[in-house]
Amino acid sequence: MLPIHLQARKNLMPRAAYIHVPFCSHRCGYCNFALVAGRLDLVPSYFEALQREFHSQLVEPREVDTLYFGGGTPSQLGAEGLARLAELATHWHPLAEGFEWTVETNPADMDAAVAQALGAAGVNRLSLGSQSFRPAKLELLERDHRAEDIQRSVELARQQGMAVSLDLIFATPGETLQQWLDDLRLAIGLEPEHISVYGLTFEKGTTYWGRRERGELESAEDELERDMYLAAIEELAAAGFEHYEVSNFARPGHRSRHNEAYWRGDEYYAAGPGAARYVAGVRETNHRSTTTYLKRVLAGESPVDEREQLTDESRARERLVFALRRLEGLRREDFAAATGFTIDELAAEAIQRFVEWKLLDDDGQRIRLSREGLLVSDAMWPEML
Amino acid sequence: MRSGSPCALAFWLGTAELGDKPVREPPPRPDLWPPASAATFMDPKYIRNFSIIAHIDHGKSTLADRLLEVTGTVSLREMKEQLLDDMDLERQRGITIKANSVSMRVKHEGQEYELNLIDTPGHVDFQYEVSRSLTCCEGALLLVDAFQGVEAQTVANAYNAIEHDLEIVPVLNKIDLTHARPDEVKEEIEHTLGLDATEAIGCSAKTGLNCDQVIKAVIDRIPPPTGDPKAPLQAMVFDSVYDEFRGAIIFVRVMNGTVKKGARIKFLQAGTEHDVVELGQKTPKRTAKPSLSAGQVGYMVCNIKSLGQVHIGDTVTVARGEQAKALPGYEEPKRMVFCGLYPSDGQDFETLREALGKLQVNDPSFVFEPETSDALGFGFRCGFLGLLHMEIVQQRLEQEADIDLVQTAPNVTYKIQKKDGEWLEVHTPTRVPEMGEIEEFQQPIVRVSFVMPAEYVGGIMKLCADRRGIFVRQEYLSPTRVMLVYDIALAEVVYDLHDKLKSTTKGYGTMDYELRGYEPGDLVRMDILVKNERVDALSIVCDRRDADTRGRAVIKKLKQEIPRHMFEVALQAAIGTRIIARETISAMRKNVTAKCYGGDISRKRKLWEKQKEGKKRMKSIGQVDIPQKAFLAVLETGEEEGGVKSR
Ligand SMILES: Nc1nc2c(ncn2[C@@H]2O[C@H](COP(=O)(O)OP(=O)(O)OP(=O)(O)O)[C@@H](O)[C@H]2O)c(=O)[nH]1
Ligand code: SF4
Ligand SMILES: [Mg+2]
Repeated sequence: MLPIHLQARKNLMPRAAYIHVPFCSHRCGYCNFALVAGRLDLVPSYFEALQREFHSQLVEPREVDTLYFGGGTPSQLGAEGLARLAELATHWHPLAEGFEWTVETNPADMDAAVAQALGAAGVNRLSLGSQSFRPAKLELLERDHRAEDIQRSVELARQQGMAVSLDLIFATPGETLQQWLDDLRLAIGLEPEHISVYGLTFEKGTTYWGRRERGELESAEDELERDMYLAAIEELAAAGFEHYEVSNFARPGHRSRHNEAYWRGDEYYAAGPGAARYVAGVRETNHRSTTTYLKRVLAGESPVDEREQLTDESRARERLVFALRRLEGLRREDFAAATGFTIDELAAEAIQRFVEWKLLDDDGQRIRLSREGLLVSDAMWPEML
Repeated sequence: MRSGSPCALAFWLGTAELGDKPVREPPPRPDLWPPASAATFMDPKYIRNFSIIAHIDHGKSTLADRLLEVTGTVSLREMKEQLLDDMDLERQRGITIKANSVSMRVKHEGQEYELNLIDTPGHVDFQYEVSRSLTCCEGALLLVDAFQGVEAQTVANAYNAIEHDLEIVPVLNKIDLTHARPDEVKEEIEHTLGLDATEAIGCSAKTGLNCDQVIKAVIDRIPPPTGDPKAPLQAMVFDSVYDEFRGAIIFVRVMNGTVKKGARIKFLQAGTEHDVVELGQKTPKRTAKPSLSAGQVGYMVCNIKSLGQVHIGDTVTVARGEQAKALPGYEEPKRMVFCGLYPSDGQDFETLREALGKLQVNDPSFVFEPETSDALGFGFRCGFLGLLHMEIVQQRLEQEADIDLVQTAPNVTYKIQKKDGEWLEVHTPTRVPEMGEIEEFQQPIVRVSFVMPAEYVGGIMKLCADRRGIFVRQEYLSPTRVMLVYDIALAEVVYDLHDKLKSTTKGYGTMDYELRGYEPGDLVRMDILVKNERVDALSIVCDRRDADTRGRAVIKKLKQEIPRHMFEVALQAAIGTRIIARETISAMRKNVTAKCYGGDISRKRKLWEKQKEGKKRMKSIGQVDIPQKAFLAVLETGEEEGGVKSR
């Protein structure tokens, strides 16, 4: 008999799928995602490539519980394109009963036709790249939408019966705590089911990076960013949102099931440029360049750029770290059942130290990040990997 | 291109007189060397042994290239720049580290001569190589850059040659440079060194101009060796290198007698006997010969597996029959600076020991012994000839052994008399006893000669005064160039004097130093405490009057070097129990990645794994991770931003 965790792995096919849509109207200054700006001319080849990639990856349709269209900006495809993508995706990934289907959209793209197309296809969750309601901040972020677009998008989503998640960015150059609180409150006022908050990061290869190097932009002070993050946690809790992952807050019953699969260490399918999949214990990432991706797939070659097969132990360690980013933490029993390793054989020493320093709470059964631990958690992970 | 009169110098075996052909195209190299007709010994009358000495970069090795060409020893096809700089590091750095000898044959006025040239390093750290070379020679070419003029090491090396009673032939190099000022430089030579420079040859080692004249001067002006080929064998071991296949290659200058292949020889100092398996000369490849006789410079291979068994300065004589007296030998090169070298990963200790041993085989001038540090674990205290030497050894270790190292700041050797009368020699600051136990604290003093354009004299005087130097003398080399001599603590020289000289003189100043002896100083041991624990590897010795400034600077630098932790880290500098500086690294306040979805997982994991590796390489003291670089923080001068010396 195989150990339980191996049996489980053997029988379980991934239950989540991610489709990357690499199109944006322009590239925002802080963004380093895999995308092409102003190249809608590539859409036909993109569909062709996706079709081929599905075929070679999946061989036959694979049912999933959660489906996620991310980007880039899927809404750039427009109503017609979205309908086509939905059809293609659900052909290869038929949705199981009680599915969750999320599409990321840019508020500027949301009109009745797009909403209609999404609703008709069966999309039941809209992730809005709202970022802020303040014009100056939106401009600094080089976003092409306005506060009204956010409001309209939410209304349109509601009409189609979709749950809404809003993305917000904080700690942008020059932003004050009060300005951030205003953004938060406006977001809460729209009564979304879910809110994600991200501290702005400066990534290599973005224009923001260069501008900061040249001293044109300044990143927020650590202390301010910390206060903003803590304020978000408090505000959102007061408004009835449960803080369930570092950056994610949900009304009861509205967590992102798709994302939870990532953090739990579950496997998932993926397609599209730069998309990462985790199937049969192997992590693969497609080439990030859309044109390379298209060229390879259309030439009958594999678009995979990086590939790694994890050992059971690194699989377990990875799961330990990513699961601990969830606020509910990790039950020893669940971890052992899922990985075949006990938490303590992997990291007893580090855990003990972090408990001593009050960065982790440990009740003997479950370990979880303390508030202070949450704030410095990136410094803890290296010691557990 | 060269002087008009028909040149009396001809290539050996060549029909051409010099001057018939451009120097850059010497006749083909003879196939057979030495010629079958070679006598069992060479008449010393027709041998010239000489070194090329100069300040660093004045063109010694380049001139050697030209001489090899002029004499047809190396064909143009085989020629490469600074051919005698055959170590990888010499080629990488473009400087000579080790003296290298080569034998050339040339016909002059119908007579065949053997010229043995030794190219020497110019850097002060390798001064002892020059001294060794000089004992094998009757003369020296003192090369002076016709633009730069007499510099600090020109003076030092010239005096060295004078002390060895050598015939000095001044040569002005680089006269091809548009700004060359040969007449002034001649004056500097005469004025400073008291040498007659009227006949100094002006040449260009770069273009080859007048390099044939140099050969002529060597033959005409340098006296032949005086030994007797028929006397009992007496040869001086002046160098050795290690050859993977042949073991020790021993370089000798035969003073008297003759040594033949197959002979049984004895090292007088070591007391060991060996058979000569092979002997010969470098041309510049090792070329076997049947014998070496009085006056000649060459090599011997005696099946000696380790360089440790070869004593530089030893005397070779015969094992049977009448033996010669031992020659005076050499002084051991002095280790001027010491530092700790620790493997970042304690597991690499044995590998490091092996690597150090291997390096020492090729470079016996550096020493090492195991030591332990509370902070760094097991490692070695290593002694070097100077900072450049230290840097070179480290570079070789890193290149050849691939070990990640933690280096402590370099320091000098102190002599300490304890209250109970006992004297200690201390190479490691932590080994300095508590102040209460010290009767006298002595440090090495060096005599430093600076040479610089006159306008910088004020700046250098101030620099020396700041470093508590004692003025010895000032000398004008010419109306515009000055030599300043000061006695200064070696620790100051090691600390940053060279950098300071260069910045004060816009790069035009040069310096040289020699050890004068030990003198009592007002010295203290300064300790660094991290989170209230003393970090032994960070202790330094400094002048009491500098302690506060140094302490503050070191603590400030450490604050920059040590990353934030999840708790507060207190940093303190202390003398005994008195805290002289303190800073706090506040606890990390925020370090959390927002986005972490499907595609981020691999990337993040890899990043964190890398950080974990990086942490492993840091030294952990009371849970504080100290990066390797921080151990050099004690070099911080506190005078300017970025004042720390980087490796
Ligand atoms: N213009 C010019 N440059 C020269 C001449 N001779 C040498 N050089 C250059 O000077 C630099 C130093 O030459 P080296 O021959 O390495 O000097 P060195 O005296 O052997 O130096 P160390 O062994 O490091 O003390 C090199 O860049 C040479 O190319 C010359 O006659 N004219
Ligand atoms: S819209 Fe989104 S994905 Fe596109 S460039 Fe802007 S931030 Fe990046
Ligand atoms: Mg040289």
